[in-house]
Amino acid sequence: MKKGFALLETIIVITFVTVSLLLLYGTFTSMIDNREKNIQYDDAANIYKMYYLKEYLLLNGMNDYLNVSDIRKISCDDFLVTSCHTLWDKFHLEHVYLVPYRIHDYNENNYASSFNNYLDALSNNEDYDYRLVGEFFYEDEYSYASIGVISNE
Amino acid sequence: MNRKGFTILELLISIALISVVLLLLLRVMMALDAINHDKTYASDDEIARTEIIGNIEQDFLDYHLNGLQIEKRDEKTILTLFMDQEKTIIVDSKSLTYDNEEYPLKSANATYGTCITYQYQELENDYYLVSIVIPVYIDGENTTVKDDLEFTYLGLKNELSSYPTNITC
Repeated sequence: MKKGFALLETIIVITFVTVSLLLLYGTFTSMIDNREKNIQYDDAANIYKMYYLKEYLLLNGMNDYLNVSDIRKISCDDFLVTSCHTLWDKFHLEHVYLVPYRIHDYNENNYASSFNNYLDALSNNEDYDYRLVGEFFYEDEYSYASIGVISNE
Repeated sequence: MNRKGFTILELLISIALISVVLLLLLRVMMALDAINHDKTYASDDEIARTEIIGNIEQDFLDYHLNGLQIEKRDEKTILTLFMDQEKTIIVDSKSLTYDNEEYPLKSANATYGTCITYQYQELENDYYLVSIVIPVYIDGENTTVKDDLEFTYLGLKNELSSYPTNITC
């Protein structure tokens, strides 16, 4: 009389359990990732930083760039004020983009996936011409915030 | 011949497979524990944090911040904001009071730091940048600055501007 399990039966059971647990692991991992993403968008402090950056850049000639139809990366080299670099550093900005409001078609390959995901998450319910999007990098983490811009404010 | 139980090889293979699965589960459980730890602060006080930052920043703009004073009194830090309407921020370990409205921390393991980081930076064309950070400690550690209350103001200097030199505890 045969008692106990054969190796094959044991392996089959363990494989079945392993696949089930790996599926659960995948579900939890994506849940963890989504939560991390949610807390990195439009933090209140970062929104006000973008507001002040917008005001400062508009005072120093950003209006000259408000005629683009595609995403434009803004850098301090575009402006003649050296204080721009001070603001960049103090605000922990990695990149700043001028993005046409309600933009649909752009080459996503030119930008980080996190930036593309942030743009996808934005609503387009207001009457702005552009968005000034800030990519912040602090303590090894990226976060995003944006502020609306009207041409000739 | 009766064959009972497992051979040593079967046992070793089974244990190896189960170990791999348990290690993966352990990683997930540790991540979930970290989320629960953060979520305690995030769910209870994140809304309050956003409201505090929004109220104070909006008042900076509406009432034209033109100076401030920082003092410590009875284990509290008091920031007096000189604006069209003078207002104060009072910080103690378990609550923040702004404009006579108190925002107590609901998370049991969170406290405000009374050692505030303040910076004043002069920019070109008579502009200046003020930065104020009120740290938040979770279980006594400032583990992430995302929870900190951070305020920024970009202003234009005038003869009435009155800001202290940079302060860091």
